[in-house]
Amino acid sequence: MKILIVDDEPPARDRLKRLIEELDDCECAGEAANGAEAIALAGKLAPDVVLMDIRMPGMDGVEAARHLSRLDEPPAVIFVTAYDEYALRAFDTQAVGYLLKPVRKEKLADTLQKAARLTKPQLAVLAREAAPKRRRTHLSVRMRGELRLIPIEEVLFFLADQKYVTVRHLGGEELIEESLRALEEEFAPDFVRIHRNALVAARHIASIDRSGEGQYAVRLRGLGDELPVSRRLATDVLRRFRG
Amino acid sequence: MNSAPNDSASTPPPAFYLPDFCATPTVLAVVLISELVAIVLTLARQELAHGFWIDLARTSLFLLWIGLTSATALCYTRPYLARLGVAVASAISLALPVAVTLLISEVTYWFGKTWFDGLEPGVASLFPADHANFLLRNLVIAFIVNALALRYFFVAHEWRRNVEMKARLRIDALQARIRPHFLFNSMNTIAALTRSNPGQAEEAVEDLADLFRASLQETRGRIPLKEELEVARIYQRIEQLRLGNRLKVSWQTDALPMRTLVPSLLVQPLLENAIYHGIEPLPEGGTVVVSGEQKDDVIELRVSNPVHANAQGTPHLGNRIALDNIRERLELAYPGRARVDVSSSATEYVVTLTFPLVEPAADALA
Repeated sequence: MKILIVDDEPPARDRLKRLIEELDDCECAGEAANGAEAIALAGKLAPDVVLMDIRMPGMDGVEAARHLSRLDEPPAVIFVTAYDEYALRAFDTQAVGYLLKPVRKEKLADTLQKAARLTKPQLAVLAREAAPKRRRTHLSVRMRGELRLIPIEEVLFFLADQKYVTVRHLGGEELIEESLRALEEEFAPDFVRIHRNALVAARHIASIDRSGEGQYAVRLRGLGDELPVSRRLATDVLRRFRG
Repeated sequence: MNSAPNDSASTPPPAFYLPDFCATPTVLAVVLISELVAIVLTLARQELAHGFWIDLARTSLFLLWIGLTSATALCYTRPYLARLGVAVASAISLALPVAVTLLISEVTYWFGKTWFDGLEPGVASLFPADHANFLLRNLVIAFIVNALALRYFFVAHEWRRNVEMKARLRIDALQARIRPHFLFNSMNTIAALTRSNPGQAEEAVEDLADLFRASLQETRGRIPLKEELEVARIYQRIEQLRLGNRLKVSWQTDALPMRTLVPSLLVQPLLENAIYHGIEPLPEGGTVVVSGEQKDDVIELRVSNPVHANAQGTPHLGNRIALDNIRERLELAYPGRARVDVSSSATEYVVTLTFPLVEPAADALA
């Protein structure tokens, strides 16, 4: 069984690694210090199980598990936490394993075996349901079996097509399979709906200009073209950005 | 005393002090008060030998009617009164039983006049003869007794609230001092070090013991600043094992008078907050600055930490509890002469404690 250890604290990683090495049929495939690193490594190493700390800098364990569940072959995620009563309350109702620090060797062996019995699609569903719906810090895009992360603060705008949503960010353009409405709910008030099909990052707005008779357009920092503001939403948008 | 839902809030609004007059204990209290007043009135009115029991019986009957009718009236108006201001509600609670007294006195007078007028003196004397005098006397007595009863209910309520508040403060203090997250993470670090570096594990256990000893000595009062800073350094050593070079603490405290006495656990909770909310969310870590200076007779202590660029939401609850707790303890130690200031910018979060310098000798005399 290939196991990926994710924890921001070196002593915690060392201990888990030692415990795993003492178990039969288990090997530590790699170590990551935060959620983003875990996702990058999971794509390369294809581990069977990820031992995931919850409280980590950058991207926390709960969000990382959410992104991992979207892989074609998602690993089983076992949360490891010192004390995080809110998160644990969410997992209690689920069959997803979690371990409490300091982790006992027998508990670890039990939980790993339980995880090994679950099929991958089951795991994906469990991981998705277990993660409380908190605001994400990154979006994940699937690329050739791996996940690419886009930090939310680098997103300029979302543009909805008939079927897909295009994410325009500082590093380029990507297609994602999420609805504009769900994105708007998750990332309000940092993103503003300016048109039926456009959601714009407030922090990247450079100006709002009059583009014609009662028509307005939003110009973004470092971006040549303008995005039209729909007549229906113009008053809301203007009120928010012009006071 | 009051409805349960209010109690769970962190700072419950001052609940209405009148008890529920429909509840058995309160009805009993009303009966008891009525009887006591009846005995006092009867005793005061005449000599013991002359018809004492008959006088007591009729006074009791009269006062019980007033007492229980007033209780019923207050029972039904209480939900409405609780929504008013304390002053208005008190005035109404005072006026209501007085009005009831007036009404029952009037009824009693007319009842006696209509049914028993002209009968033999023995029976007629049970009822009042002088209308105006009877009403006025009852009015004054009702007012005084009722005012005393209200005062009693008010004081009892305040006392109970005070006890509850003190208990809550104590729990808050404990929560502010021992963060479970820290305890279990430290245990985990020690478990990891036990094999890889037994020497370090041993030191960590010693540090943890010292830290908890300092935390649990609640009644220790004031300690020299030097000791207080030492406790904070012990805390830093434990966190250092866990966070490695992500955590840097810059101590700029050399200018402080180390012998001055301060309430214990002032600096450590601030350092803990700075690490938990400032350093841990940063992948690259950062530097916490503990600095202090003395300006005349005033000491300023500052703890600052970098702020995570994407910090979301409001200040954390645990942080607020710790700050409130420090503020309360400083206020207890130096009433009106200490301050806790918080300033935060996009990049930095700073807590500043300001309190007067206390020399050890001066404190010993005080």
